[in-house]
Amino acid sequence: MAKYNSLMIGATALVLITALTACGSTGGSTSGSGSGEDTTVDVQSDLTGKTICFGFSGSETEFWAAGIESITTSLEKAGAKVIEQNSNEDPNRQLEQVRDCITQGVDGIVIIPQDGASAVTIVGEANAANIPIGVFNRPPADESGKALVAVADNRDVSKQTNEYLAEVAGKLGRKVQPLIMVGDLSDQNALARRDGFYDVINANPDLFEKPIEVQTNWDAATGQANLEAAVQANPNIDVLFTSSDFLFPQIQAVLEPLGKWQPVGVEGHVIMGGLDGDSRACGLIKDGYVDATGVQDLFFEAESLLKALGAAIAAGETAPDQTLIDPGFALTQANLSEREKDTWGCVIAPPSK
Amino acid sequence: MTTVTAPPNGATKGEKPSRSAARVNMLRRFMAGEGFVAVLIVVYIVAVSPFASGMISERNAINVLSNLWPLAIIVVGQTFVLVLGGIDLSQAALINITNTFGALLLAKALNANTFTSTIFWGTMLGADGGPFATTGGGGVILAILIMVTIGALLGSLNGFAVAKFGMPPFMVTLGTLLLFNAISVWMTHSENVAALPPEYLQIGQGGFGGPFTYAMVIALVLAIAAHFVLSSTPFGRWLYASGINKKTAIISGVPYKRVLISAYTISAVFATIGGILYSTRLGAGRPTLGGDTLLLDVIGAAVIGGISLFGGKGSVLGAFLGAIFFVVLSNSLNLLNLPFTIVFIVKGLVIIAAALLDVARRRVLGGTP
Repeated sequence: MAKYNSLMIGATALVLITALTACGSTGGSTSGSGSGEDTTVDVQSDLTGKTICFGFSGSETEFWAAGIESITTSLEKAGAKVIEQNSNEDPNRQLEQVRDCITQGVDGIVIIPQDGASAVTIVGEANAANIPIGVFNRPPADESGKALVAVADNRDVSKQTNEYLAEVAGKLGRKVQPLIMVGDLSDQNALARRDGFYDVINANPDLFEKPIEVQTNWDAATGQANLEAAVQANPNIDVLFTSSDFLFPQIQAVLEPLGKWQPVGVEGHVIMGGLDGDSRACGLIKDGYVDATGVQDLFFEAESLLKALGAAIAAGETAPDQTLIDPGFALTQANLSEREKDTWGCVIAPPSK
Repeated sequence: MTTVTAPPNGATKGEKPSRSAARVNMLRRFMAGEGFVAVLIVVYIVAVSPFASGMISERNAINVLSNLWPLAIIVVGQTFVLVLGGIDLSQAALINITNTFGALLLAKALNANTFTSTIFWGTMLGADGGPFATTGGGGVILAILIMVTIGALLGSLNGFAVAKFGMPPFMVTLGTLLLFNAISVWMTHSENVAALPPEYLQIGQGGFGGPFTYAMVIALVLAIAAHFVLSSTPFGRWLYASGINKKTAIISGVPYKRVLISAYTISAVFATIGGILYSTRLGAGRPTLGGDTLLLDVIGAAVIGGISLFGGKGSVLGAFLGAIFFVVLSNSLNLLNLPFTIVFIVKGLVIIAAALLDVARRRVLGGTP
């Protein structure tokens, strides 16, 4: 009997893990920005009768949630049937899901891959099946496959943001200690953002000490734990750049107890920047806690990708191959009033172009 | 309405069982064996295929088989431990360590920006890749041998901890799951290792045409070997004896500790090989390859396949059928385009059902849960 009870406890534990895995990590398959705003973009093609497979690796951050909602609703508005597949950050499952989509004879595929390496494999599968594929925001690690890739110029956006942070830091009149929270470096975007940060650091050797690097692996808990350790070891951080805005709550949790979560102009303020341009960062810039954030134009990326994919499907192209660059920009304390309306996180609905 | 008033076997000592009682008995035996799983798979496919677009198609069969081979290998490995009455929660973490280390050995090039601060940079690794970057097929074989050896050593560590110190397998392998995962991430700072030689990638991507892949050959060879070991060798008999009753087995002369360490070693070796198939089909070594839910699939498939969580019961055929059921289940849920959360809820319920089924089987076969 005791064994029976142990078994049932074990089974219940396994099921709880399953449920928590499903519900806790990245939400469900139908994601939303939660804004209630219209996030559709103009696909400019009639996709009535077409089926599009949309595979994404999760909807953990506001950027992904808004991007997923925008892509899904825009395709549906254009008349397409959308098959949503959430792989919950498992690249193997994403590959299986895309293969299952291909089995169903879809007309096109859109993916937000888990990382650049798995994107290469998935693009290869689509190419072999003669189905056009679009990759949103996370580019494949190499160009061996043919795909439409919408991606921000992450290095330049990061550079613009950090140039503003350097300008503010320069006013302190001394050498400053910078810290960067880096993303999962198997993601090309994370690499480019770090490179943009170092472009500015290396251009200002008299201003910056050797930077402290904090690994986050795009995981909030990991980021917070590592930042806590870094700040304990180096309490005199002057400049903090996070490779993604979604980490600001964790940054606040670490800095606030130390009296370092202060708005601009107040003693103890850490000069801070991020990247994404989400609503949290927008709000923190308005409140004065954050100095700048690099803005990826989510709606530009979604619209340019879906337009190109729609055109390829209409033209019967099976392997369109094009990179669609989102130039992005830095939203700062200095330009907030002019650029707020262009920042997706500040408006949620697509800004007028 | 019929009221059952006698035991289902319906016969007392010395009496011949009636024909109906014999039929009931046969049915019960069938329900408790692999035949039930085989029927379950067929019934499920027949029931679901009208609603799942493309489920009965050549392309989908290839997909299902591609998903089956690595999982089946890992489940067969887990079978050795489950038959013994243990559990190996560290299989996914073992996959993470071994496939990442193997990829580092074989990588043809590594991005200095990404890997320069990792532990092996400047010694074993450089911008030109790993030590076997240019050694072709020979290097691939050597790297695989090293991966399997590492897997075997780590698996034997699990077995040693359980056998020598009498620690609960659940706690030991939960601990090593965390430990091995941490080492995997530490080795590459969570980076994936791409640029692998084509000879290596062929293992998971190549084949003889259609569904006849190298992965299939590897899985079937391992399964046949495992079946032989479990069914036709003293070691197999020792495993079952130890799983049914440890004390009796020891009194009967079964070298229990040696058997236990061997079982965990085999589990780890099979996990390593399954991991190689997963890694090569994705084209990169990954420190997080064995994700959160792989373990659930493995245990769920094993139990559905009739491998008892109480130990002492199970077969390689059952493990294989359990893996087929789980892969078909996942495939069909994808083809039904169900939301991600529903997929997990269904899988969770299937695991509970499998646990209940295990209890029912024990009762049918006269066990004492």
